[in-house]
Amino acid sequence: MRRPFTGRRPQEAVEVRRRGAARPAWLRAPVSVAVALLVLVLAAVAAAFSPWIVPDATAQDLMLGISGPGPGHPLGTDDLGRDVLDLLVAGARTAVPGALCVALGSMVVGNLAGLPAGYLGGWVDALVMRWADLVFSLPALLVAIVVAGVLGGGYGLAIAVLVVLFSPTDTRVVRGAVLEQRHRPYVEAAQMKNLSSWRIMTRHVWPNIAPVALANVFLNFAYALVSLASLSFLGLGVAAGSPDWGRTLSDNRTQFLANPWTVIAPGLAIIAVAAALNIVGDWLYERVDARGRAR
Amino acid sequence: MAQEGGITVEGLTVRQPATGRTLLSEVSFDVAPGESLAIVGESGSGKSLTVRATLGLLPRGLDASGRVSVDGVRVDDDPRTRARQRGGVVSLLMQDPFTLLNPLRRVGRQIADGLPKGADAATEVPRLLAEVGLPGDVAGRYPFQLSGGMRQRVGLAAALAGGPRVLVADEPTTALDATTQREVLALVRRIQRDRGMAFVLITHDLRLAFSTCDRVMVMYAGRIMESGGAAAVRDEQLHPYTRALLAAEPPADRRLAVIPAVPGSVPAHDAVADRCAFAARCSLAVPGCLAVRPSALPVRPGRESACLRAAELPARPAPAPGVAPGAPVTAAPVLDLRDLRRTFAGSARPALAGVSLTVAPGEVVGVVGESGSGKTTLARCVAGLERPDAGTVLLDGIDCSDYGRLSRTAVRQARRTAQMIFQDPYSTLNPARTIGATLAEALRADGRPAAPGDVARLLESVGLSRDTAGTRPAGLSGGERQRVAIARAVAGEPRLLICDEPVSALDVSVQAQILALLAELRERLSMAMLFITHDLAVVRQVADRLYVLEAGRCVETGPVDQVLDAPSHPYTRTLLASVPDGSPGWLG
Amino acid sequence: MDGRSRDGLPWDGDDGSHGDVREAAVGGGAYEGVRENGSREDATGDGSHGGVREAAPGEGGHRVRRAGRGWGAFLARRLAGTAVVVALVSVGVFGLLYLAPGSVQQTLLGTRPATPETIAAIQARYHLDDPLPVRYLTWLGGALRGDLGVSIRTGSPVADMIGERLPLTLALTGYGTLLAVLVGVPLGVAGAVRRGRATDRFTVTAGVVGLSAPPFAVGLLLLVVFAAWLGWFPVYGTGEGLADRIWHLTLPAAALAVGAVGMLVRFSRAALIRELDQDYVVFARARGLGGAGVLAYALRNSLVPILTAAGLVVTGMLAGTVLVEVTFALPGLGSLLVDSVTFKDVPVVQALALLLTLLIAAVNLLVDVGYSLADPRVRLDGRAS
Repeated sequence: MRRPFTGRRPQEAVEVRRRGAARPAWLRAPVSVAVALLVLVLAAVAAAFSPWIVPDATAQDLMLGISGPGPGHPLGTDDLGRDVLDLLVAGARTAVPGALCVALGSMVVGNLAGLPAGYLGGWVDALVMRWADLVFSLPALLVAIVVAGVLGGGYGLAIAVLVVLFSPTDTRVVRGAVLEQRHRPYVEAAQMKNLSSWRIMTRHVWPNIAPVALANVFLNFAYALVSLASLSFLGLGVAAGSPDWGRTLSDNRTQFLANPWTVIAPGLAIIAVAAALNIVGDWLYERVDARGRAR
Repeated sequence: MAQEGGITVEGLTVRQPATGRTLLSEVSFDVAPGESLAIVGESGSGKSLTVRATLGLLPRGLDASGRVSVDGVRVDDDPRTRARQRGGVVSLLMQDPFTLLNPLRRVGRQIADGLPKGADAATEVPRLLAEVGLPGDVAGRYPFQLSGGMRQRVGLAAALAGGPRVLVADEPTTALDATTQREVLALVRRIQRDRGMAFVLITHDLRLAFSTCDRVMVMYAGRIMESGGAAAVRDEQLHPYTRALLAAEPPADRRLAVIPAVPGSVPAHDAVADRCAFAARCSLAVPGCLAVRPSALPVRPGRESACLRAAELPARPAPAPGVAPGAPVTAAPVLDLRDLRRTFAGSARPALAGVSLTVAPGEVVGVVGESGSGKTTLARCVAGLERPDAGTVLLDGIDCSDYGRLSRTAVRQARRTAQMIFQDPYSTLNPARTIGATLAEALRADGRPAAPGDVARLLESVGLSRDTAGTRPAGLSGGERQRVAIARAVAGEPRLLICDEPVSALDVSVQAQILALLAELRERLSMAMLFITHDLAVVRQVADRLYVLEAGRCVETGPVDQVLDAPSHPYTRTLLASVPDGSPGWLG
Repeated sequence: MDGRSRDGLPWDGDDGSHGDVREAAVGGGAYEGVRENGSREDATGDGSHGGVREAAPGEGGHRVRRAGRGWGAFLARRLAGTAVVVALVSVGVFGLLYLAPGSVQQTLLGTRPATPETIAAIQARYHLDDPLPVRYLTWLGGALRGDLGVSIRTGSPVADMIGERLPLTLALTGYGTLLAVLVGVPLGVAGAVRRGRATDRFTVTAGVVGLSAPPFAVGLLLLVVFAAWLGWFPVYGTGEGLADRIWHLTLPAAALAVGAVGMLVRFSRAALIRELDQDYVVFARARGLGGAGVLAYALRNSLVPILTAAGLVVTGMLAGTVLVEVTFALPGLGSLLVDSVTFKDVPVVQALALLLTLLIAAVNLLVDVGYSLADPRVRLDGRAS
């Protein structure tokens, strides 16, 4: 299993930091964050430039078939004779951008719904929260499987379904952050100055919760990466034969005895990128948290 | 040197290795068995860190050095002895009754947890509860079922469970109402005397220290300024800082023409490492004060002072005579509240149970009460941040009971008539915006020109430099933030300023500055004020008329002199008796 | 302008971010807000950003605000809520399946010739010529009487198919949860107690990696290492007899547990650290409670967040079994769901959706009951801190 698929994520406070930081944050970033950033840069480069780096990643060599690591194929080939390393690089092109779309999409929806829900309260809040409650009471992965499976699967559909299933979490995070700000005197002082609700929400409240929403994008990104890979693994995401990591895993899941790298490479890629995103997200959250405390 | 049953601290220094900062240094004191010492200081003085370091309970990331002996044993380099001594030899009572007890454990068990091995909880717990004046059945309750005062008593019982010979109390009553504070302090002192414990009290309140302890030690910016017997220090202060601190604390029995404020704010320890920490704010400073760091030295028997000029300080000026508050105004009121009622969902008791009140133009009306009296709800109803269940709020003749039903013009009118300042200086300003942006927006909202020059003028009118416009709130002290909040509120020269505990989160010296600023603005803008506070001394200084609230009702009203000099309601008398006056008899 | 609902005043009662104000609160008025407005109401955010983050999964708000009204009302409310969700799910699934591209008829016909006779037979058998609402009601009527219908794909009764496969999925979930709790909670506690040291850095990193690892990837990696290379565990199959069964299910359960361990490490570590930073812990130390006693206080008080995490772990596992059953080719509910969905086997998908929704609702209900037992403030007072 994994935590994931209920839609609720372990977005726990990281840890309580004592005040009194001397050096700027980026200088004190731990090694793990540096490594994570490196992984993300590699993944981003692969996602952006794989058509040029590995133009013939999906070229088959049926004569060769599946083979272990050897000359010309550092990680061997799969049963269609495709180079595993090339597939790994090419796989980033579907795995990473799709997940980013989900994260950004759910952040946008979350902000658009959470900001008014938290600030205006009343029926707006009730409506938004009932919707969120409903989605929360469903197992997200199962819903995604049923919807994507029934509608025939596909990359765009998977992304759209995940945005719908993810956005309640962002909505709650944003709403919670807004509620925390809403009765602070600076907001009430703005009300006393007869500013419009829209202006208070966008100019006063939002800048103070934006860091929370932003840090959340990274955590959602990681979760989306894993969820998209899961759907692809079940054959409900990208089209068959594409080099996506989840799909490659699925295509080769019976082949690991012949060449274990066919599953190790994409499996570790998913884990490494998701872990890197989580590490960076946690670290950002911690920074935001420390800043919130220091004020 | 190190006595049995007491504490001796020599040359205590606390550092934060991660940043290289020193937070306090050269702190020495001792407390004999049966004796009580008050460590007094404003925030940033290092008083809490001093006792935490003494007890070996510093927060993570801080290191202490210096000699500490407890009960005749040197413990600063011996964590095991320290651990063994906790509870049985030395015990600590903490500040916040809402957080110091384990929320999920019945209080009886929590007290029993601290009993020495072999003690019988069934008899000891009721005995301890009785000692702190609580009935035995409290043992079966959870902390959330008790009031703040009861929790603090439970905390005391728990601290006493191990039978300590030294009790340290860190601001034990700061979070409590004045009347509860007096009861709890009287209890602590009685038990301390009965048990013959050595007692260290941390407090920000000099008068409270005089009334509660045998000796006082005044700290500032992480070092000792002055120490001596309570009565002796009360009568004659040998350090200008002590004088300033005492003078800045307004009296409750008369109104001063001017509250002697201390300019500036408390510096960091390291910023003043090589000079007298108070020199920059001291009216008696000479150039020599900036050249060396004076140590606390004996001036006369039992008295130490860290002032270079301790021996030659001029005599203290005679107490300033009181002045009369403003004459009653008879014009049509700018604010008229009629039978205001409000009950919060889930609360059995109404927050406001029918309060009527008027404020005339230019008049300052004080509303005093303890927590739960409804005074904050009252302010919020007037400001339109809360909607009353019943009753009317007439602002300059407009019925503002429900802002949702007013026309846009009426709302704008009401907003320009009344503005508000809030208690917490740390959240009163938007942390994401510069001061200049905040004030420019306020000026525009009030229909005033908002060019940089106008913002600068506004800043100067509240005693801030025009450069402040470029900074964000994080770069300002609490007092400065409160000044900006005031500037924001008066940008459009409102006819009524609602002040909700505007100085209660500030240090005394800063409090005096803010009160002076409010008095000046009131004069200049001929603005009426609705001044909400729990502090009778403060309200004495600012208000013309007074309303005393108790549990959502107004129990007494009248000119401030009349109410405070000749209170007619018993509740008002209780409140008055709870204001520390510095006399040894105050605790009764 | 709307200041009516005061339960949103979370920063008033917060314990974290206002420490500095409180310290500066020389006048003692800083508590005004808290006490004057009555309760330090629940959840929505306990002030710090940390609280906000936690509020998302914890949904403490409506879960705990019941109190006083007793168990009857609480249960009734929860059952009604579950009924609404189940109804919505069944309508949703039904509608979705019939609106999907490619008709059921087409699927059923498969390669057979589409003669009018066969089409008519199929339509009659599966009521395909009835209007949609009628078909839904027909299905609903059957379901309420306990008749879940017949699988379109296999022709066997849905109840039997589910009955055959449910034990495996439940066993897998239970086994996985057990592994996760036995590993995750102690690791989280170790990390919190040794905060900032090597142990802690290791558990935190391991937790994040676990949290980031999807079960199918973990499953395949486990197969490569433990089945293919080391040969300690079987590659496929479910085994005969209890011991063999456990042996066969160990790798799948471990694959499920890895993510759950990550979550439990994170929740229990964060919860325990938060408790260890509380005043009451300092106070307990100051009056002489030993390390074990203080840890017991803090552990006991971190139970609610750990319970929350455990609930999420179980519900997450119910969903995650889909991936693991496919990975290990196990005949459980998950693989049944995947097969049925792609075949548009309406009765099976419907029944599975309902069953899983009910199971998840039951787990959430258990967690809520657990809250009440763990926190007397919920039990006696109706509010949580």
